[in-house]
Amino acid sequence: MTDKNVLLIDDEETIQEVVQVGIEIEAGWQVAIASSGLEGINLAQNQQPDVILLDVMMPDMDGIDTLSQLKTNTRTSAIPVIFLTAKAQAEEKNQFQSLGVVDVITKPFNSMTLASQIAKILGWEM
Amino acid sequence: MAGVKKSPTKKSFFQAVFEHSLEAIAILDCQGQIVEVNPAACQLFAATKKKLVSKSINNFLMSPLNWEQIQGRGQIKIEQPKGTIKTVEYSQVKDLLPDYNLLVFKEIADFNRQATAELKLHHQRVELFAEVTLKIRQSLQLNEILQTAVTEVQRILQADRVLIYQIFANGTGMPIKEAVLPEVEPILGVEFPEEVFPADYRELYTRGRVRAIADVHAQDAGLAECLIEFMDEWMVKAKLVVPILQSFKSQTKTDGEHLWGLLIAHQCQATRQWTEFEQELMQQLADQIGIALSQAELLENLEGVVAERTAKLRQEISERTKAEAALRHSEEQLRLIANGLPVLIAYVDKQQHYRFNNQAYQTWLGLSPPKLYDCHLLQVHGQAEYQQISQHVATVLRGETVTYERDLVLQDGCMHSLSVTYIPHLQDKETVQGFFALTSDISDRKAVERMKDEFISVVSHELRTPLTSIHSSLKILATGKLGSLSNQGERMLKIADEQTERLVHLVNNVLDLQRIQSGKITMNKQACQARELMLEAVQAMKTLAQEQGIQLSVKPSNLVVWADRDYIMQTLTNLVSNAIKFSPKNSTVVLSAEIKSQQQSNSKHRGISYITFAVKDRGQGIPHDRLETIFERFQQVDSSDSRKKGGTGLGLAICRQIVEGHGGQIWAESCLEQGSTFYFTLPELIQLKSDRHD
Repeated sequence: MTDKNVLLIDDEETIQEVVQVGIEIEAGWQVAIASSGLEGINLAQNQQPDVILLDVMMPDMDGIDTLSQLKTNTRTSAIPVIFLTAKAQAEEKNQFQSLGVVDVITKPFNSMTLASQIAKILGWEM
Repeated sequence: MAGVKKSPTKKSFFQAVFEHSLEAIAILDCQGQIVEVNPAACQLFAATKKKLVSKSINNFLMSPLNWEQIQGRGQIKIEQPKGTIKTVEYSQVKDLLPDYNLLVFKEIADFNRQATAELKLHHQRVELFAEVTLKIRQSLQLNEILQTAVTEVQRILQADRVLIYQIFANGTGMPIKEAVLPEVEPILGVEFPEEVFPADYRELYTRGRVRAIADVHAQDAGLAECLIEFMDEWMVKAKLVVPILQSFKSQTKTDGEHLWGLLIAHQCQATRQWTEFEQELMQQLADQIGIALSQAELLENLEGVVAERTAKLRQEISERTKAEAALRHSEEQLRLIANGLPVLIAYVDKQQHYRFNNQAYQTWLGLSPPKLYDCHLLQVHGQAEYQQISQHVATVLRGETVTYERDLVLQDGCMHSLSVTYIPHLQDKETVQGFFALTSDISDRKAVERMKDEFISVVSHELRTPLTSIHSSLKILATGKLGSLSNQGERMLKIADEQTERLVHLVNNVLDLQRIQSGKITMNKQACQARELMLEAVQAMKTLAQEQGIQLSVKPSNLVVWADRDYIMQTLTNLVSNAIKFSPKNSTVVLSAEIKSQQQSNSKHRGISYITFAVKDRGQGIPHDRLETIFERFQQVDSSDSRKKGGTGLGLAICRQIVEGHGGQIWAESCLEQGSTFYFTLPELIQLKSDRHD
């Protein structure tokens, strides 16, 4: 199993924890945590993760704004972004995909199968 | 004449005749000179004999006579001293004496007087008849007619008593009308026994007998003793009796006349010879009374008919009046209701002119209903607004009901959401006469919808996020990587995990159903192979089927439907999941798709071919009375199913919403203990392509 670096941008601490623990247990990948969009952009620039898991609904700067900045920033624009959202319905999924996300994972999800889901989306071998 | 010459004694005789003749006689010579005149001639010519003799007769005539041409008879005119002119007829007796002419004159006036008097009398009688008849006929009231008859007869005949005696069926009778002189005792209203007027008398009168008795005591009167006594009792000395006969029409017998009564004139002060005229007058008046009786009877019948018809008409009018009043009342009530309702109500004719507007037009839009009457929609709403509504107006005028929503600033200055429904007014269920427009303010509903959306959005986020944490934490714990649990601890963890799964499922279903029902989702339709959809659903349910020991089988099909793949997959997996849950172990759930031409109730899809999907299980079956309700929310066959089988009670409701969103139908057929089959239809691709072009 290839080591991957995952950046999770989510303001919910419990989500931060279960995602981090779940991915580490399931796949052994490193999960960096950012509690806001701004923090996430900084971390993304500095750490160049293999994938960014981005929560849509966040205070101050929401997922869509964060995505926009990530995509306009040359240092982060190539990093694949997967939305984590509780709002994911078919039409919203299409709308999000048009913004440049590779996929949308709908809450509630099982963090113990999240790594496999990500690998499937991005075509990674596990 | 030779005898006259020979008998001088006769001369004196003739002289006497000549002298005393009432006719004027003149003897003339052959030149027309008067030789001798008698006193009557003197009187005729109003001159003395002395003045007349030796004069030419022509001197006394207005136009001279030509004696040579006189022949037999002729007329002459004589001027009288007072200027009056007498027309006189003369007759010439030639050769009575040689060379002398005898002229006898006769006044034509005298000659004609008698005839004229007779003529005058006849004329008077005719006039009298006419007058009396007219008087009688002036009334339609029998009483009045009878009274007029006796009064007139009494007046004309100068009789002492005139009466109308009515004969009753039993032969008795009574004078019912009377005209009597003051000094004569009245007989009116006195009832007479049958003996006074026995049957044989009645028979005679029925045949038309007229009885004129100049003197009741006279032998030739032929009255019975008792009748004479009776006459004396009423001081009757002479009487004239004529029958009053009434025509009758009989259905059983031939038409005829019956004796209704008698018209009687009494002379009490003296005997009286009844003239022919008097008898005739009485008879004619009796005839008139007979006619009047028949007419009165007809009138009575007619009045009966009229009364009956009038009663019917009154009833009809009364009913109509009541109906009209009820209609007015109903209209008034409708108007009150229409004006009281918090909606705009209008009726628009097919030329798009307002024909009715309720009071809400005034309060909502500031448009006065009387002013709106007969105004065109364009005139009232303006070009821009009319463009927005004209397509809907066109639709309703084609006979289709149309509902749409629009936002409008009302009198209060606020923007309101309005729901407008146009209902066509069809005559004979065909021709559109106009349409009813109902506009309700749905601003509150819209606000509630917005709140609900927001609420669902919040629930969506606020429930799903903690659920993710719980769900993930439990899954992490279950791996045992964070430490091992006792058996009981693992059991508890399993329960928590299962119930969390159920909660996740429920939240997802609630949100799905809400979104589909709100109509906000758009079906992303595309061409889908029916077999692929079924195989995909089977693939998704493979693990569950294996866990339950159920076989899944898909029947071959090459049909293509026009559908939203994700939603149809959701429907199929839902149905397959149910089938697995309720099937006994080692049984098979079969999926199939067949084409069926189906008449849909929705006119929009009429005549379109539909593909019917079927998911058939061998489960316990569904009671017949639950086959419909299971498609409603939280309606499971057994309320414990949700716990036992892990369902939410929303799956079939979601399926129905999805299928109906595709224009299809969903239903179930079942046989207890043998299994159930769930069917749903989707339009076949070809037809939907053309639908798209619409």
